[in-house]
Amino acid sequence: MTQLVWNGLFVGSFYALVALGYSMVYGIIKLLNFAHGDLYMLGAFVGFAILGAVGGVSSSMALPLLLVVLLATMVLTGLAGVALERVAYRPLRRAPRLSLLITAVGASFALEYGMRAAAGADPRVYPVRLGGTSVEVLGARLTLQQLVLVGVAVVLMIGLNLLITRTREGRAMRAIALDPRTSSLMGIDVNAVISRTFFIGSALAGAAGVMAGAYYGKIDFLMGFLIGLKAFTAAVIGGIGNIPGTMLGGLLLGLLESFGTFWLGGEWRDVFAFGVLILFLTVRPTGLLGERVTERV
Amino acid sequence: MRAIPLKSFASLAVVGLLATGCGQGLLGGDDGDKAATANDPIVLGMLIPQSGSEAAIGPYMSNAAQLALDEINAKGGVLGRKLELKTADDACDAQSAAAGANKLVTEGVDISVGGYCSGATLPTLPIFGKANIPMIIPAANSQELVDQKLKHVFLINGTGSQQAGAAEKWIAKQGAKSVVLMHDNTSYSKDIALRTKALLDAPGDAEAVLVETVTPKESDYSANITNVLAKKPDFVYWTGYFQEGGLIARQLRQAGYKGSIMVGDGSVSPKLVEIAGAEAAEGVYATMTQTPDTLEGAEGWIAAYKKKYNADPGPYSNQAYDAVRLAAEAVTKAGGTDGAKVVSALEAIDGFSMFSGPLKFTPEHTLSNGGFQILVVKDGKITLQDSLK
Repeated sequence: MTQLVWNGLFVGSFYALVALGYSMVYGIIKLLNFAHGDLYMLGAFVGFAILGAVGGVSSSMALPLLLVVLLATMVLTGLAGVALERVAYRPLRRAPRLSLLITAVGASFALEYGMRAAAGADPRVYPVRLGGTSVEVLGARLTLQQLVLVGVAVVLMIGLNLLITRTREGRAMRAIALDPRTSSLMGIDVNAVISRTFFIGSALAGAAGVMAGAYYGKIDFLMGFLIGLKAFTAAVIGGIGNIPGTMLGGLLLGLLESFGTFWLGGEWRDVFAFGVLILFLTVRPTGLLGERVTERV
Repeated sequence: MRAIPLKSFASLAVVGLLATGCGQGLLGGDDGDKAATANDPIVLGMLIPQSGSEAAIGPYMSNAAQLALDEINAKGGVLGRKLELKTADDACDAQSAAAGANKLVTEGVDISVGGYCSGATLPTLPIFGKANIPMIIPAANSQELVDQKLKHVFLINGTGSQQAGAAEKWIAKQGAKSVVLMHDNTSYSKDIALRTKALLDAPGDAEAVLVETVTPKESDYSANITNVLAKKPDFVYWTGYFQEGGLIARQLRQAGYKGSIMVGDGSVSPKLVEIAGAEAAEGVYATMTQTPDTLEGAEGWIAAYKKKYNADPGPYSNQAYDAVRLAAEAVTKAGGTDGAKVVSALEAIDGFSMFSGPLKFTPEHTLSNGGFQILVVKDGKITLQDSLK
C-alpha cells in the first residue's frame, strides 16, 4: 500500500511540476499552451547537451553536477519559453481564442519536429544517471535519488507559491489574471510580466525534463507529448489557474494511476484514472481548488 | 499517444478508400507499362521506419537490401533487367505506412520487400494487394498478418506463434515456475504474450501468473512493476519494443527483482542495453531470429556489408538482404514481374538458400521453421545463448 502511494507521489510530482506552467499561463492570459509539454522535452535535451559538453564525471559527483545542470537548464528553457511567447503568442494576443490555440498546437509540433531534425529520431540516453539501490521505508522501496528529486520538486513548488503570494511580481501576475487592461492602466508593464510568467513556467518544465532524463535515462523528441496531456489534465483537476490546486491535481493524477494499475491492471489504468476524473469534474467543474470565474470575452 | 487505436482505425478506413480509389486505375496503367518497357529496371519497394521510435532499424534493412541489389546487378541483374530500390518511411505508424505504401505504388514498384512494425505493415497489405504487387515481408511477423490469408503476402521472419513456442521452450529449460508476461497492447506484442500464456497454461512446471499491460512511450513503469513483483515471479517476459524494454529491465532491477528477464525480438537492439544501463541489462535473454552476430558462415557477408557502409549490420539486415534475393529469384522463375506469376513462383520455391535455412513456404506463406533462438546480453553485447535446435 505504501509502495502504491509512493509510486503515485513520485510520478505525480513530475506531473505537478509540468502542470504548474500550464496553469500559470492559463491563469494569466487564458491560453492553453499546448507546447508546454515540449518545453519539458526541450529541457531534457538541453540538460543532455550540457552534460555532454561537460564530459565524464565520477558517480559520486553526479548529484551535485546534476543540480548545477538543472539550474542552467531552467534558465535556458525559461528563455526558450519567453522567446516562444514573443514569437508565437504575443502577436496573437488580441486575436480570437481559437487562433491562439492553433498557434499553440503549431508551436508544439514545431518544437517536436525541430528537435527531431536537430537531434535525430533515435532515443538518447543520459550520460549521468541517478541509479542507486533502494531502501525500504514503511514497506515501500525508495531510493535516495527519488527523495532528492521529490525534494527538488517540492522546493520549486514552495518557491513558486511564495513568489506569487508574497512578492510584488506575484501581485502583478495576480492583478493581470484578474484584469489585464486595468492592470496596465495602473502602471503594470503587462508584457514584461507575461514574459516573466512564461519564463517561470518554462523553467519548471525544463527542470522536470532534466530530472526525468537523469532518473529514467531515456529521452526522445516525443517525450513531452504524453506528459503534456497528463499535466493539462492535472491542471484542470486541480482548478486551472490555481497554483496549490494544480500541485494537488498532479499528485492526485499520479495516485489515481498508481492505484488504477494495482486494482484493475495496466490496461485499465487510464480508463480508471480518467473515468474518476470525468465523474469528479461533473460534480465539481472548477476542479479541486478552482474558483468559479466569469468568462471574459 | 493515447489516440493510437483510434488513429489506426481511421487510417485503416482511409487506406481502404485510397486503395479502392486509386488501385484500379494504377492496376490498369501498370500492366500496360510493363509490356511496353521490358528493359526498364525492376523496382523493389521497401517500407521501413526511417523516423519515429523505431528509426534506428531502418538503415540496417535498407542498407542490406541495397547490398543484395548491387550484388545481383553486378551479375547482370534479373532477366537482363537491373534492379532498383525505392524506400519509403512508415515511421512504425499505420497512417504514415499507408501514405508510404501509396507513394510506392504510384512510383511503379513491382515487388514490396519491406515491413518492420507489424501494426504499420497491416494497413499496407490491401494497398499492395489492389495494385497486384507481391509482398515479401522481411521483419514484421504478427500472427495478424498471417490470419489475413492473403495470397500476395509472404513472411520470411518467424511468426508470433513460432516466437511464443521458442519462449515457452526456453522458460521450461530454465526451470522457471511462475512467469509474468508484459506487453504494450500493440497487436504484435499482445499476440506474442497471449500465445506464450496459452502455451504456459498447458500442463507443465511453469505457470503464467500475470499478464501485465503497459502504456508505451511513458517513462515510469513503477506501478506496473509493483503489480509484477506482487506475484513473486522468477521469470518476466517483455514482448514489446526496446525503448520500453530497456526502462522495464532497469526498473525491475532497481525494484530488487532477482529473477530472469527475457524480451521479444522487437527489443533486440543495442539501444536496449544503453537504456537499461549495462548493469541492469546484463543477463537479459531475448527470443530472436538469426541476427548477423549469430549467423553461421556469414563472415564474408558481414565483411562486405562493413566495407560498403563502414558500419556493422544490425537486426533484420540479413532478412532484408534475403528478401531482395528471394524477390530476384521469384522474378527469374516467373519470367517477369506479373504479380500472379511471381506469387506462384514464390509458392513453388523449394530449398532456396537463405540465412534462416533452405526456404519452403507453408500453405500460409510463412517459414516452415521459424528459426527462433535465445540471445543473451553478455558484457553489454547481445550474443547467442542457445539456438534451441
